[in-house]
Amino acid sequence: MEPTNTVLLPTTVVGSYSVPEWLERLKTEYYQRRISAQHMAEINEVAIKAAVKDQELAGIDIVSDGELRRDNDVDYFLARIPGVNIPQRAKADYFDYYDAEVTRPLPELPDEPGAGSTGLALADDFRFTRQLTRKPIKFSFTGPFSLSRRIRDDAYSEPGDLVRALARRLNAEARELAKAGAELLQIDEPFLAGYPDQVELAIEAVNIVTDGVPATWALHVCYGNRYARPSWEGHYDFLFPAVKAARVDQVVLEFARKGLDDLRLIRQHGWDKWLGLGVIDVKNPEVEAAELVASRIRRALEYVPAERLMINPDCGLRHLAPDVARQKLRAMVAGVALVRAELPGGQTS
Amino acid sequence: MDVDLRPVRKLRESAAARSALGPIMEAVCASPADLGRARVVCDWIQYKQNFREAVVSRPVADPADTADTEVEIAFDLRRCADIDPENLTAHVKQALADRQPGLPLEPWVPGRDSCIWRFNQLYWQALTHWEVATGREYEQSLPGGESDARNIEAARELILELFRIWDELDARRALPEELYVLELGVGNGNQARTWLDEFLQLDRRHGREYYHRLRYLMGDYSPHVLDRARQAVAHHAERVSALVVEATRPSVTLGFLAGKAFLVYISNVYDNLPTDELACIHGRTYQVETQAFLTEDDAGQIAERFGTSRDELAKLIDRLLRIGPELLSESSPGEFPDPGQAVAFWRAAWEALRLRERYVPLEGLDRYQITPSLTGEIIRPLIEGQGDVRMHVSNGALGSFTGTLPLLHPFGRIQCHDLFLTGSQQYRTGFYGPGKYDGSVVNWVNGPLLQLIASRRGFGVEFTPFRQRPGSNITTLTAQARD
Repeated sequence: MEPTNTVLLPTTVVGSYSVPEWLERLKTEYYQRRISAQHMAEINEVAIKAAVKDQELAGIDIVSDGELRRDNDVDYFLARIPGVNIPQRAKADYFDYYDAEVTRPLPELPDEPGAGSTGLALADDFRFTRQLTRKPIKFSFTGPFSLSRRIRDDAYSEPGDLVRALARRLNAEARELAKAGAELLQIDEPFLAGYPDQVELAIEAVNIVTDGVPATWALHVCYGNRYARPSWEGHYDFLFPAVKAARVDQVVLEFARKGLDDLRLIRQHGWDKWLGLGVIDVKNPEVEAAELVASRIRRALEYVPAERLMINPDCGLRHLAPDVARQKLRAMVAGVALVRAELPGGQTS
Repeated sequence: MDVDLRPVRKLRESAAARSALGPIMEAVCASPADLGRARVVCDWIQYKQNFREAVVSRPVADPADTADTEVEIAFDLRRCADIDPENLTAHVKQALADRQPGLPLEPWVPGRDSCIWRFNQLYWQALTHWEVATGREYEQSLPGGESDARNIEAARELILELFRIWDELDARRALPEELYVLELGVGNGNQARTWLDEFLQLDRRHGREYYHRLRYLMGDYSPHVLDRARQAVAHHAERVSALVVEATRPSVTLGFLAGKAFLVYISNVYDNLPTDELACIHGRTYQVETQAFLTEDDAGQIAERFGTSRDELAKLIDRLLRIGPELLSESSPGEFPDPGQAVAFWRAAWEALRLRERYVPLEGLDRYQITPSLTGEIIRPLIEGQGDVRMHVSNGALGSFTGTLPLLHPFGRIQCHDLFLTGSQQYRTGFYGPGKYDGSVVNWVNGPLLQLIASRRGFGVEFTPFRQRPGSNITTLTAQARD
């Protein structure tokens, strides 16, 4: 495996990769029971191989599996968590959300080390990707707060308890991922920006997820990317200072679409950990010029030292056409190269 | 032989419709058609002015491109009921024999490229001339004699809902400074005037001074129409901007509005935009191609009436469609000494205009472009696996709709009053155009297809009866972000 810490401004992705129209159609066929689960699994694996290859060819330093097994950012998890009821599992379109509910508290895992898989089998997903590439891998999953927003809760009198129960389940899963060799794990909270008054609860849950897991942790918060549209508007003010209490090593934020004004929050609140800087607008098919990417990075360097800056798109690439996604990743890598060449130490750190 | 009886309700209600069935079948059986390769389709064409004869035939090209072509024999039950059964066989024979009769006005083309849409565009561009000639304003030709645009109750309902949303956003300090409302297809400005007058009154009562933050955008493809509409709202001039907008590609002009519009109001626009039709016959997908023509009799009569030759007639109609009646009169004073004569020529040609149709196999839905950015794949769930069906693609409406969705604020909505089918099964039980409506074309809009496309973009679409006018064919479409 290639080392992760030999380059300044390492490039990575947020998680999801372009889902081609043909794959969307096949996924929908699967959810309408016209393709077997076995065939769908094999199709997904082929798509993941292609996604990893695309990232490698683009020159991405830390790759992902493109989240290509997942129908959307929520259901892949909810469908596998014991105690979450999904009455109707067929879908008119694969990307639709399930109607999920909990009618009694989620079953807790045995309180013993090494209790084993919790049902999500994310470690198996990681192992599959691990054998595809020598590159470092980022493995991302949706956080407990956002998962809870898609569950009708008829079980808990205190809504925060559902979030915490989900967090405990994800913590067990994260431990399995670490055992499988995952070194960089990312929690995605795409719904958090819509509920800024609940950021403390979300951070509390993040800390439950990361507890005792020997990995580097990233937390991704954006303004939504469902159907390539923002679900909310606003600024990252709501995230600070609460996020400083999160036991994570990095926040991954969107800046390309929203502009770089919120970089001031990094300095204002003394964020002294890594920043995953979004430099590619994933809601716009227009491919950024390398120089534009470079200018965004240079601006960020006014607030964050290069040693704590990771470069990524604003969010997942799911809604971009494959050729656009590839071009955007290449533009990002080229932009990073321009800045690296200007920095003392050049290619190494 | 397949027999497809579509006007289900009429067959229940109308003894005339039922009584026509027997003679129709007898006439088909007595005709020279190869009954093993014939389809019989019966519609009830509700538009008194339309593009069809009572009996027509449509070749169904074989995808294997062999010489064996099926034929569809189509009957308008409404008119067939008035034909002496003895004569019906003659009509069928003529329909089968006369596949290339009359004076063609264009080559075979997909429906959306037909010259009927040029006539339609001319109607809206030269509306004043048409109204002078007919002696009535276009609103008077609408059912009920007025446009939905003047309905105050409908406007009030929308405005109060906007106030509710804005109050909520304001409470979260998330209300933008400028509050955009867009109207596409402004007609004579009555809708805008009614809406703005009502808005001002309700805002005074509401007390939040939203009126001063309102930006009311009127979009229409015709500068002339915009000018007229602007006069109607002159007393709201500070709040209103008028923009020339191509209805089928709104984002070209309105890109700046992306994510900002709280309300996009569209009334009776979509049914008037070009459309193709696709059909699934015996599991194969076809495009319906059309050719506009005049019958020999009509061509001869029009040529004689306006002092021209049959051979010159097609060119003259083409010129009319290019330059309009006023300039046609100026450039051809011999045939048309005044614009009124040119309008008379226009009306005569329009009244006589017919469409013949044929089914041409599609290579694949992915090879068929509904709009420049949308392939036919999207229509697959509606057209395949549903048996034999023929439906509108509503290309113009889809172009407009998909270009409008991105303009919506996350809490915005599209409200559209139009002739919508609300279920694709309706295509099996009725006729939904094209028809002639005064000087314009009317087609019902494929609502389920709009619903499907919106769903793929994260919007929910609901259809509700147009409550402000019970019994109307108008349906209200509301589109809002979901999830």
